[in-house]
Amino acid sequence: MSTTTAVQPERILKDLQQLWAQMAVDQADSGGVLRACAMTLVVVAENASDADLVRQTVGVLMHNHPSRAVILRPSGDGGGAADLDARIFAECWKPFGKSQQICSEGIEITAGRGGYAEVAKFLVPLRVPDLPVVLWCRGTHVLASAAESGLLEPLFPLADKIIFDTSQVADADSALQFLRRLRGRGRRVADLHWTRLTGWREVLAHLFDDHALRPDEVKSAQVTFGGPSVTTCARYFADWIRTALPGVKVGIAADASSASGDGPGGIRSATLSTASDNLTIALGENHCLEVSGCGRHYRSLLPSESEDALMQEELGILGPDLVYERVLTA
Amino acid sequence: MTEVRNPFADPLRFERRVPECAIVIFGAAGDLAKRKLLPALYRLAYDRRLPASFAIVGNSRTPMSDEEYRQRMHDAVKQFSEDGALDEDLWKRFAANLHYVAGDVKDPQLYVALREKLNTIGQANVLFYLSTQPSYYEVIVDGIGHSHLSAAPEGAWRRLIVEKPFGHDLASAKELNSRIHAVFREEDTYRIDHYLGKETVQNILALRFGNGIFEPLWNRRYVNQVQITAAESIGVEGRGGYYQEAGALRDMIQNHLLQVMATVAMEPSAVFEPDAVRDERAKLLRSIKIMRPEEVDQYAVAGQYKGFRQEPGVNPDAQTDTYAAGTFFVDNWRWAGVPFFIRSGKKLPKRVTDIAIQFNQAPLALFRSGDGEEKPRPNLLILRIQPEEGISLLFLSKEPGSGMRLRPVSMDFNYGTSFGERSPSAYETLLVDAMVGDPTLYTRQDMVEASWTVIQPILENWNNRRFDFPNYDSGTWGPSEADAMIAKLGRQWRNS
Repeated sequence: MSTTTAVQPERILKDLQQLWAQMAVDQADSGGVLRACAMTLVVVAENASDADLVRQTVGVLMHNHPSRAVILRPSGDGGGAADLDARIFAECWKPFGKSQQICSEGIEITAGRGGYAEVAKFLVPLRVPDLPVVLWCRGTHVLASAAESGLLEPLFPLADKIIFDTSQVADADSALQFLRRLRGRGRRVADLHWTRLTGWREVLAHLFDDHALRPDEVKSAQVTFGGPSVTTCARYFADWIRTALPGVKVGIAADASSASGDGPGGIRSATLSTASDNLTIALGENHCLEVSGCGRHYRSLLPSESEDALMQEELGILGPDLVYERVLTA
Repeated sequence: MTEVRNPFADPLRFERRVPECAIVIFGAAGDLAKRKLLPALYRLAYDRRLPASFAIVGNSRTPMSDEEYRQRMHDAVKQFSEDGALDEDLWKRFAANLHYVAGDVKDPQLYVALREKLNTIGQANVLFYLSTQPSYYEVIVDGIGHSHLSAAPEGAWRRLIVEKPFGHDLASAKELNSRIHAVFREEDTYRIDHYLGKETVQNILALRFGNGIFEPLWNRRYVNQVQITAAESIGVEGRGGYYQEAGALRDMIQNHLLQVMATVAMEPSAVFEPDAVRDERAKLLRSIKIMRPEEVDQYAVAGQYKGFRQEPGVNPDAQTDTYAAGTFFVDNWRWAGVPFFIRSGKKLPKRVTDIAIQFNQAPLALFRSGDGEEKPRPNLLILRIQPEEGISLLFLSKEPGSGMRLRPVSMDFNYGTSFGERSPSAYETLLVDAMVGDPTLYTRQDMVEASWTVIQPILENWNNRRFDFPNYDSGTWGPSEADAMIAKLGRQWRNS
């Protein structure tokens, strides 16, 4: 369900109220609708067709993180405030076994890339009061815009958390420097390429829960990746090990046998070496990790890397993410 | 063994690993195992919470092969899993570590066979789960002790989970504790009360101690009364034989509802650590005023629904309480004089478990309520445990239009819609806690004994009298005596 409206925040909010009132009437026979909202999720789409994908992903995310979604759809090259247009919509779903629908609301704003300063002004009244605001800058171009042109700068102060995805960047170091700069300015940032590491990190952490080896036994560590250049994922993994085991030498190396990284972030393996043994976690077949060494030999299935699964994880963390911040600033 | 901090832990992103271990379930063909334990363990495997080598050894008297037991449990998990269909590939991997040892728990040879099975499986850490009839608990614990199955190798552990009821009165609870302690240390004994594993019961602590606005009101100055209700719309459903020996007071109030009351009324602990939290719960239970014998008739009511005595397996002259209600007071500075009304019953109008905290009315009635009542309705904070988990706050609001007519409105927080993700079942939570060695949500010996002490005067009174049962109709809110009990204190039940 959606309607088009001009970009006047008061008008949009009024239209949303009418939308809810109408839905309550339409669904009266099945117990009305339940309006759910736990945050404002602002998504900057890469382009117009990407905005359609975003809408689908947001629909999935709302089941676990009901929000007022604000999707910013670029209108084309350049452009500014004059191109602004908006429409509202509701995403509804029916929980298993229930007759009442749960609905969250959304606003799609079409704007030229030059119009984000104007959009930021509109976003202030469109935020749900007193609830967190998450800004999701989707795709490589959006990240490049943010890093190089500063086009997204007006949006950053509105957000409690800003989510990027560095998976496609050509220069990992520059991307990380940009995130560090933002963090240094007090912005809470996240990177879906860090989120992709969770499966690897969990397997490694569990080896220490299981006492496969003790932290003080580790003498050195090595992370290998496939592909032509080091990824932010590989950097994160190495820095995570380095911050967890201060004093341990941690190397990053390209895996010569692998032309491209087909695992999360191109990671091929991680090896922790003790004085007498090597404990290796390596990417195996069927999206599995193979653990070997220090008396262990087993496989573990990696979690889903779909964009909505990664976003679900990030939206579940709205406070400080101390581990990531420590790694980012290492 | 000294615990080494895991430098790779990231509790925001992933859970602590369940250590490699085996669980031995006594009563493994019974209802609890089929309906709760195996579905919970399967779900933990589905969520990748269990190590690959995790093993289950089931025991009951019924002769069965491993394969037959696996098939039975496959069918049970398929039938009783709360959400989602059974993943057959995952089940195959899960079932490969599912074993069965037939035998009578009174037969010492059973424990020899269990030892051999555990040696074959090769797990040093073992969790024993007593899911049998309570009358077998002591026999099993003795059997584990005599066979030295409770003795863990260096660096490993052996733990015991005991299902309720933990004794049938104070003396038997003490006796059981004593028998268990001859074999297991208190820190290795996990007395399960699955209510404490429910997300919404845990959320009581979050609501009270994670927010600044409630705790200042959480005392005798602002709270008028607390009502704790656990109502079931069904009867004994084929469990008449068990239930007629237990009754609502023993089956619900002595354990679940007194623990819930303790969670609602306890003082904040200095730290959120197992013994600190349990110390506060225990202190609250010990602060509940013990009824004098002559007070029991005034503060406790028993009921039985019409038709209970005609249920299969029930004595036609049974004196069982299918309904019990009590008025409890807490003798401490925070709660002195505030009545806690607790009731539980079968065949009531609906299935609901909730806690209603009723606040004092505004000191001056400026407005008359819309329906012309002299007194406006009081504010209520309702903590809903089941079926729709959540929290509601009832307050008065002006009706639209001219004049100043007030109407009660409800501000609702619904767990399911605010957190779309699935909540783990109580048994999933509690099983993991026992495996990782976190007893926060388990009851301790002193807590069990304190709650039996509270109940004991009522039990003694009820055991020594004949009730004029049955005294309430199915589909009603229990006997009229329960209404009279609460009316004597100027209150009425919140029957909604």
